[in-house]
Amino acid sequence: MSFDKNEQTIGSGGIIALTLLRILIGWHFLYEGFYKLAQESWTAKPVLNGSKWIMNGVYSWIADSPSMLSFVDSLNMYGMVILGFGLILGVFTRWLALGGAVLLLLFYLINPPLPGLYYTTPTEGHYLIVNKNLIEMMALVALVFIPTGKFFGLDRFLYAFLKKS
Amino acid sequence: MENEKQESKEEEKKGSLNLSRRDIVQGLATVPFLGMFGWSWAKKDGPDTSASGPVIETPKEFTGKELNVAMLGMGAQGQVLLNSCLRIPGLKFKAVCDIWTDLNLKRAVNLLTKYGHEVTGYEDYREMLENEKDLDAVIIATPDFWHAEHTIAFLEAGVHVYCEKEMSNTIEGARSMVDAQKRTGKLLQIGHQRRSNPRYIHCKKKLLEEADILGRITTINGQWNRGVQPDLGWPKRYELSQEKLEKYGFETMHEFRNWRWYKGLGGGPIVDLGSHQIDIYNWFLDSKPVSVMASGGVDYYEKDTHEWYDSIIALFEYQTEKGTVRASYQTITTNSSEGYFEKFMGDQGTLSISESANKSGVYREVSAPPWDEWVNKGYLSKPEKKETPAAGEGAVVDVRETASPESHTIPVELNDPYHQPHLQNFFDAIRGEAELNCPAEDGYETAVTVLKVNEAVEKGITVKFNPEEYVI
Repeated sequence: MSFDKNEQTIGSGGIIALTLLRILIGWHFLYEGFYKLAQESWTAKPVLNGSKWIMNGVYSWIADSPSMLSFVDSLNMYGMVILGFGLILGVFTRWLALGGAVLLLLFYLINPPLPGLYYTTPTEGHYLIVNKNLIEMMALVALVFIPTGKFFGLDRFLYAFLKKS
Repeated sequence: MENEKQESKEEEKKGSLNLSRRDIVQGLATVPFLGMFGWSWAKKDGPDTSASGPVIETPKEFTGKELNVAMLGMGAQGQVLLNSCLRIPGLKFKAVCDIWTDLNLKRAVNLLTKYGHEVTGYEDYREMLENEKDLDAVIIATPDFWHAEHTIAFLEAGVHVYCEKEMSNTIEGARSMVDAQKRTGKLLQIGHQRRSNPRYIHCKKKLLEEADILGRITTINGQWNRGVQPDLGWPKRYELSQEKLEKYGFETMHEFRNWRWYKGLGGGPIVDLGSHQIDIYNWFLDSKPVSVMASGGVDYYEKDTHEWYDSIIALFEYQTEKGTVRASYQTITTNSSEGYFEKFMGDQGTLSISESANKSGVYREVSAPPWDEWVNKGYLSKPEKKETPAAGEGAVVDVRETASPESHTIPVELNDPYHQPHLQNFFDAIRGEAELNCPAEDGYETAVTVLKVNEAVEKGITVKFNPEEYVI
């Protein structure tokens, strides 16, 4: 499937808006990561234990295995910090956007607000199938396809370097 | 043209990479956001020492005598009391003291500074006593086993004392505090804050004493059911040195944080939670129990870090002027069903009361004389008829059941933090404008009543109260 060439240009306004979107998501990751790191005893265990739907088995298995859990905890905390820095600075933007989207998909699958699933832990809003994890994930998917780092971000140097060689 | 020249110069400078100034500016354009992030991270309130507190209205203009106040013990409870104090006009904070200097002390000093008080922070209360010569009052919220020493030291220095409950972890300790109060003639208020709660005062003065709406009270039950809570932790970077811990009576950091669970330091849940409510039993009945039996144990938590009983069910017997009253009380720390309340049952009605809002109710027995007079006087809300179960839905009303009573609510609510009226009462008393609502003797009686529950569990016997034990 292809579109008319004119429809594919998003213009400088579009690039700036998408760059800001990238920075906001990066900020969100960075804070979540730092916050968890600052709490000496943070663990994903209770969240994983509350998992429902298709990933329930895998997540419970992780929660119950101390070595897997500590691996997943570190991956989470440092992963989010790295994603945060990367998305704000615009380095390896498209790869990080892809990684972030996968991470968010995994978060979404912990407790997706599907009809018929009931959660006792309250959330801050009301969701049906679509929640903020899913939206943030889709925003990152969009950023996989639009190389904002090439315009605003350290990727600009990377592209210059690649062009040179 | 000029620009182009410039750009080509830049290109030359950067040589191999062919970076224009524009490249560099755009490439680094988002870096400032990291700076912004760092700035807001440093600014934000976290588990650190930055001044954080509730949104507090500045107390209204105050014309009476300003009191110089110090606080000793700035842990969780100390902070609750401080937040209430900041809403009370006419107080000037001079000093705060806490051995956790890097965390609790710093936080308290920061908060008070933010509210315009010039306070000095101390680690050792003796130093505070030595340096602060113009104190009118001190608020003590240290662990229970420190209460006697701290209270007596300040009373003897001529300072009025508000001391948190439990008055002491030992009966001897509590007794020595009453002695010191009598010897010095200074005021000693014990922190059973329900005694100053307008809802409780309304029930005691209006409903029980004036209207006598319950008739002959025969039974009381009460509970504080609290769900499982993890042990309190601490940020590693703020860990106290072993030397310091031992200097202040703790063996480990875990003990310091979770002293309420350790024998010799605190008294366990029956003392921390039960004490508030058993105090109401004594107060509302104008009496003290003659005996207590109790079942309890460390049934759920780790025994080596939880020396006191996590579950207790206690049965008291009172001999009041109107006759015998039997009272049950339970405190459990593994399930939060129905929270906490005290329920007084008489032959004419039931009074269920709780410190938490919207949990109180008064119910008239169908056989009792009508309460119209009290409703008209505004002592009670208008009655609501309980809905009778619809017929044909499996609900069969048995002839042995009495019809459900009418339900009323108590039209008095406390809209301030729970501890504020009790603190206000203490400061009013210092100015000679009020009587203490929980003076040392009352606190002592409650301490005896409650500490004996632990003794009953420990010994597995019915403990008789010797009337002399209440007398000082």
